[in-house]
Amino acid sequence: MSDSQPAPGGTSRGAPDTGGAIAGIAAAAQSASATAPARPLGAWALLVSELNVLFRRRRTWALLLALAAVPVLIAVAVRLSSREPSPGRGPPFLDQVTQNGLFVAVTGLIVSIPLFLPLTVGVVVGDTIAGEAGLGTLRYLLVAPAGRVWLLVVKYLGAAAFCLAATVTVVTAGVLAGLALFPVGPLTLLSGDTIGLAESFGRALLIAGYVTVSLLGLSAIGLFFSTLTVVPVGAMAATIVLSVVTQVLDSLPQLEWLHPWLFSHYWLDFADLLRQPVDFSSFGANALLQAGYLLLFGALAYGRFLTKDILS
Amino acid sequence: MSRPWLKWVPAVAVPAVIVVGVLAAPLQAGAAVDLPEKTPKQVLELAAGSGVDTFSGTLEQSSDLGLPELPSTGDAATSEVSDALELLTGSHTVRVYQNGADKSRVQVRYPMSERNLIQNGSDVWLYDSADNTAAHTTLPDAAAGRTSPEETYTPSDLADTFLADVTPNTIVSLGENTQIAGRGAYELVLTPNTADTLVGSVAIAVDSDTGLPLRVQVFASDAAEPAIEVTFTAVSFEAPDADLFAFTPPAGATVTEETLPERGDATPDKTPKADQTDHGGATVVGTGWDAVIAVPASADGSGLAELTTSPLYTQLTEAVDGGRALRSTLLSVLITDDGRVFAGSVSVERLQAVAAE
Repeated sequence: MSDSQPAPGGTSRGAPDTGGAIAGIAAAAQSASATAPARPLGAWALLVSELNVLFRRRRTWALLLALAAVPVLIAVAVRLSSREPSPGRGPPFLDQVTQNGLFVAVTGLIVSIPLFLPLTVGVVVGDTIAGEAGLGTLRYLLVAPAGRVWLLVVKYLGAAAFCLAATVTVVTAGVLAGLALFPVGPLTLLSGDTIGLAESFGRALLIAGYVTVSLLGLSAIGLFFSTLTVVPVGAMAATIVLSVVTQVLDSLPQLEWLHPWLFSHYWLDFADLLRQPVDFSSFGANALLQAGYLLLFGALAYGRFLTKDILS
Repeated sequence: MSRPWLKWVPAVAVPAVIVVGVLAAPLQAGAAVDLPEKTPKQVLELAAGSGVDTFSGTLEQSSDLGLPELPSTGDAATSEVSDALELLTGSHTVRVYQNGADKSRVQVRYPMSERNLIQNGSDVWLYDSADNTAAHTTLPDAAAGRTSPEETYTPSDLADTFLADVTPNTIVSLGENTQIAGRGAYELVLTPNTADTLVGSVAIAVDSDTGLPLRVQVFASDAAEPAIEVTFTAVSFEAPDADLFAFTPPAGATVTEETLPERGDATPDKTPKADQTDHGGATVVGTGWDAVIAVPASADGSGLAELTTSPLYTQLTEAVDGGRALRSTLLSVLITDDGRVFAGSVSVERLQAVAAE
């Protein structure tokens, strides 16, 4: 339906303030628009403006700051404590933190994954459609010549960008806190092998990528919830509650047959990236599962959003 | 655009496609595999003649012995017992790297940790990332360069010997050809020729190309699902990276040096951990599948007392006539009131009968 509408020629900006990934999207937009005139530039302008709005929002920054506080608090607590953390107590890898500051990032992620990351992602994604509907701005967005499908895609891409930003925030804050407070050197992997600093950063990036992918399924679910209501808090709460319920189900051995189907099932398996040699099988399984959720809830959101009467 | 129901088509189609895909995948994996016809003896020869000593792969091990769920946390004494039992219950993923006879690495994976056993020539390392400990031993030269006794037989001899050994009480047959880790495999099925045992059958899938056993399944007598299963989920016959076998313990690890007991044929995976004392005096009653191992009461009874005071003991065992018994789908253990222990792949009733003799 977006293809049938006239293209007024939008203002695609380079968006230097929103990072390289977005600049890349903008560049891709320009090349895409050159070959396919049916895809209006206005559509890409919508994406750029969505990202601009999202990352200029004070709420987004507050969420990211709260996430950054998790590894920093862990690092400070371990540093100030006079007792060495003993192996097997507290979150995994906590005992390694004093020997290698890079583990602050890993421990921070492990602590954030069950609640803090789904919480912040739920807040952002629950707000996508319902927030606009609640404010009465949704119909103005639909006046833009991009169409409802593209608006849905833009909202999802915005949420995905937040997932990436959230994960990178935790990892970066963890690495920085580790560098500041603890010695940093060659990293000991789970297999007992040690790798150099450069490869350690590579692994940290891989882990950030893994966790970002892990959150994509939840984002799709949240997007669907967000199309159901005009009360953003409802969509946020539903998303967050669902992520907690799923993790509870995942911990019940009686429901073992269900576990591989739960979107949170592989969340903590990023530890496979800390083995030697790197094992990408859980990365693949996780990506496939999240793609399934994305397709399913994307289709549901499509059905709902395109048949919905937009009154606000 | 005038037909809004069209917009819901993807929402119906996507789950349908996913369901079809999920249902079709196992059908495809279970599809009949075309392999040249072979007799059981030829498959045995193939397995016995397998000279594969360079490969890497991922093993999936799962056991369903019908034991009660064990608490995963607990005090140190309990957790040591459940550590040992944990290997028997539940499932594990193990990565295996083998390069020649004297270079190997086994990685047992846990959610946030890993246990590594690395052999490089005569050096053997055991590393546990959960508590960051490493143990090192040096194998005696004889053990490092030892030739396995199998090599003195031809595969055909070995197959004959095996068949002669097992035939009186075992039926050897071939099952359906299967596909494991993407490779065609023959399935040898060993069925006990007696009704007294708990073992229903043992199925060994043998790679049709190299003869490497790719899967072993042990079925209890009345179960459709295997009680114990070890299977390759991925296997490659390329030489693993040499770096994998060069292990230096990481900085900060607790390193202990262990010396192997002078026993000549000690294998590296029997690291001195559990008590290996006074297991002399055990006798085997009967032969074949329904054999029972009998351990007489030790003089001081100390080992048993330690066991029976563990809270896990009462959880795992039940009171029967003359002692306490542990029942599982494949193995029964009877500990009599006077401290004797009987174990075997037989019913508890048979253990009681042996104990009464």
